[in-house]
Amino acid sequence: MPITILAPKPTRQAHSHNGHNDDDAMSDSGSDSSGAGGDDDLDEMVSAAAAAGLKSQRDSKYEIVTPGEVITDDPQWMRGHGTYVNPATSAIISSVAGTVSRTNKLLSVRPLRARYTPEVGDLVVGRIVEVQAKRWRVDVGATQLASLPLSAINLPGGILRKRTETDELQIRTFFAEGDLLIAEVQQLFQDGGAVLHTRSLKYGKLRNGVFVAVSGMGGGGGVVRSRRQVWTMDAANGGGQIDVVLGVNGFVWISKHVETPEGLVEKAATTGITNLEESVSATMYSSQNDRIEVDTMREIARLRGVVIALVENGLRVDEDMLIRGYHEAVEMAMVSADGLDDLYLGGEKGEQLAAVLTGI
Amino acid sequence: MPREAEPSLNERQFVLQALQENLRLDSREADRYRPLEVTFGDEYGVAKVSLGKTRVLAKASAEVTVPYADRPLDGVFQIATELSPMASPSFEVNRPTETEVLLSRLLEKTVRRSGALDTESLCLVAGQKCWSVRVDVHVLSHDGNVIDASCFAVVAALRHFRKPDTSIEGGILTVYTPAEREPVPLGWLHSPFCVTWSYFGEEGEMALLDATRAEEQVRVGSCTISLNRHGEICQIAKLGGTPVEAVILLQCTAIALTKVKEFSAYLDKKLAEDIKRRDAGGRSAELTAENDR
Amino acid sequence: MPLDTSAYSLALLRVDGRRWNELRRIHAQIRTQAAADGSSYLEMGHTKVMCVVNGPSEPGPRRGGVGGTSAAGSGGGGGQSKDAEVAVSVVVAGFSSVDRKRRGKNDKRILELQSTISSALGASLHTHLFPHSTISISLHVLSLDGSLLAALINAATLACVDAGIPMTDYVAACTAGSTSTYAANDESADPLLDLNHQEEQELPGLTVATLGDSDRVAVLVCESRVQVGRLEGMLAVGVDGCKQVRGIIDRVVRDKGRRMLQEGTVEKGVGLEDMDLD
Repeated sequence: MPITILAPKPTRQAHSHNGHNDDDAMSDSGSDSSGAGGDDDLDEMVSAAAAAGLKSQRDSKYEIVTPGEVITDDPQWMRGHGTYVNPATSAIISSVAGTVSRTNKLLSVRPLRARYTPEVGDLVVGRIVEVQAKRWRVDVGATQLASLPLSAINLPGGILRKRTETDELQIRTFFAEGDLLIAEVQQLFQDGGAVLHTRSLKYGKLRNGVFVAVSGMGGGGGVVRSRRQVWTMDAANGGGQIDVVLGVNGFVWISKHVETPEGLVEKAATTGITNLEESVSATMYSSQNDRIEVDTMREIARLRGVVIALVENGLRVDEDMLIRGYHEAVEMAMVSADGLDDLYLGGEKGEQLAAVLTGI
Repeated sequence: MPREAEPSLNERQFVLQALQENLRLDSREADRYRPLEVTFGDEYGVAKVSLGKTRVLAKASAEVTVPYADRPLDGVFQIATELSPMASPSFEVNRPTETEVLLSRLLEKTVRRSGALDTESLCLVAGQKCWSVRVDVHVLSHDGNVIDASCFAVVAALRHFRKPDTSIEGGILTVYTPAEREPVPLGWLHSPFCVTWSYFGEEGEMALLDATRAEEQVRVGSCTISLNRHGEICQIAKLGGTPVEAVILLQCTAIALTKVKEFSAYLDKKLAEDIKRRDAGGRSAELTAENDR
Repeated sequence: MPLDTSAYSLALLRVDGRRWNELRRIHAQIRTQAAADGSSYLEMGHTKVMCVVNGPSEPGPRRGGVGGTSAAGSGGGGGQSKDAEVAVSVVVAGFSSVDRKRRGKNDKRILELQSTISSALGASLHTHLFPHSTISISLHVLSLDGSLLAALINAATLACVDAGIPMTDYVAACTAGSTSTYAANDESADPLLDLNHQEEQELPGLTVATLGDSDRVAVLVCESRVQVGRLEGMLAVGVDGCKQVRGIIDRVVRDKGRRMLQEGTVEKGVGLEDMDLD
């Protein structure tokens, strides 16, 4: 990942104040060189800066609150996330840098950027980091590892089977360390830890594609909770169909579309139930990729490029943006010298893409 | 790695509540030290300091070596600290814990960097030969406030220490054994002492001197101030912890100065007693008689 | 190279032309690294520091440990404490100062810096919100010209704000010194704000870090000999300096926030004015 450090430039506000103070100091430096007099100078400057800060904050709609800033000292508000109460004054004070939001009488501060906080029902993409006796520990980009109990997955050979000791012994055959999976948050512990489940044929191990991590919730672009987090789209240039999974936690999975088990279920109605069980158990926990055509791979890579370009330019990543961005990227590749093989969407091209998307 | 057993929530609350009521578990006042005692060994340069149940042994020694190339006119002075499992099971051999690193840094800054020992007087032949003085600090038993006890032990050991006398004649360096010539004390400039404050309470508003182990485990912050009796600060270290009002820190420094003066007077008295004791043994009288012959 | 302090009493200007109460130029930036949870870059004069914060996150399985045997319930692997641990690592680049000396990882000075920063920030960060997790702060010193600890603390604070970790208030730091040497007891000695490397070598000085706009001191480190009477003046100037520094780094965060709001990457919040109570 790139490191961006801008060339230093004079900070506007800071300079105007310092300049002002310098003038003051110059004018009375002849008479005033004692420590006490200087102290007053300093105090003046600090208070002037503070006053100015306060004023600009009231002027602008684009202001944020920062840690330590008193949001209100009115006792009738309740404190929510991102705030704390000073026990002495009962004022509500912000503990993060972000924007104030309120729900009835609850005041909270949404940080500009923070790690993912799980909520029940969230669709997440995660990676197994540890296999324990009866559960997996999954990295979902939150402050704690989520856990996926053995009892919360679909066991092969029948959707609603009770787990047995044999399953416990071969726990690694379902998910091993490093595997990616798509799951739903089932419940939360008191301390914020999440418990996942994959008890639906929509969920389970991820294959045939690439993983992209974008910064989670909140600022700087990212995935937002929306109506549809998973969809199948038609790729251009003979790429076939592509599945996109936008995990609410900011993890994205782009893969070749394979007949979903749901599709199989429909087929199974005609072919018989035993067939279904076999095909489900064969593919559900497989660690082998299917054969993927070069065209499909190219389009998957292009989609990945679009996701990264969206994030780098601070745009949201959702279905609408991604599909529009993808079509735009295809157009851009058409006119470029390298033709369809031009996958590069960084730097200027990324900015160009973002400009087109925000321009509409 | 064996970890130090954390006090339980209830223990913690008990100690803190008692402190809120101005009661310490050993019924001391906030600014009182536990009984401080120093004893010197038969050899020169051995000092054993006990502060309540905390006990520290320091031994100074010297040998002739080659000075560092970048400081040809200075002797070598080292302080080595050892926190072994003897002091507490949480300390391991050969793996310095944070406590040990901070302790050795503090001693280094207090005694070495403040120039308490005149390292230039350790130089024998410029760029070729010098004394290397080394103090080994062993914490024998850890019941809180190891820093103050160790610092006192180091200063006491160094001031008690006598290095062999030397002479240079015609480019030949002679080091005399104690039998030939009475050993000489080190070039000592000033005696710094550490005073450690521990802070308690939500905003660190309660300050205690000489915290015991139990108190150290529940404190929210600490500040070690090193001073000498001339009122010179050698070092201040409040390394993080709950923020404390600046005014309290200034008050703490003022009280620390009075404590340091007490320490200084006590050590002077003890050293004088020790010299007298050695004289009474008649050893130096014997040596003088030998030299007269 | 000895610092010529004799000129100070004549012009009341320091070697780099500053007055006694002037900070060096502070330039700071947040979100410099896309991959990290929080990052910052800070210059205090010629001292340049880069900081990256990762976490709070739960460390993976411990190497060499037996795979967790506990079946259900929260916790299991990872750190067992109720509060998040603040792990700090400081790397001083070999090219950061004039003498290209390589400092080992186990240099006691570095270890002391790490433990100080961890403890200072740990007191302000709301670590109780993140049980069993670790907030890892890694700091790289690119260029060194005095006030190292202060710059490190400021950079770490900024990066933690960027990472969205809740905290009581900014921890802002700066240095203060005095124009007199320890022996001289002249009453006319001025306190100095924000020492550079030369001044740090020659004059007594201390590093102060305060919490927010209060006078509460989180870190106070003095490593040189100084008369006890000097302390009050130096501390007062240092605390004032910290407030100025806080103002500057706060403005950096606000500017970034304003830009993000204007670009529409973050939803606007409700202004306090339109918070009429029904």
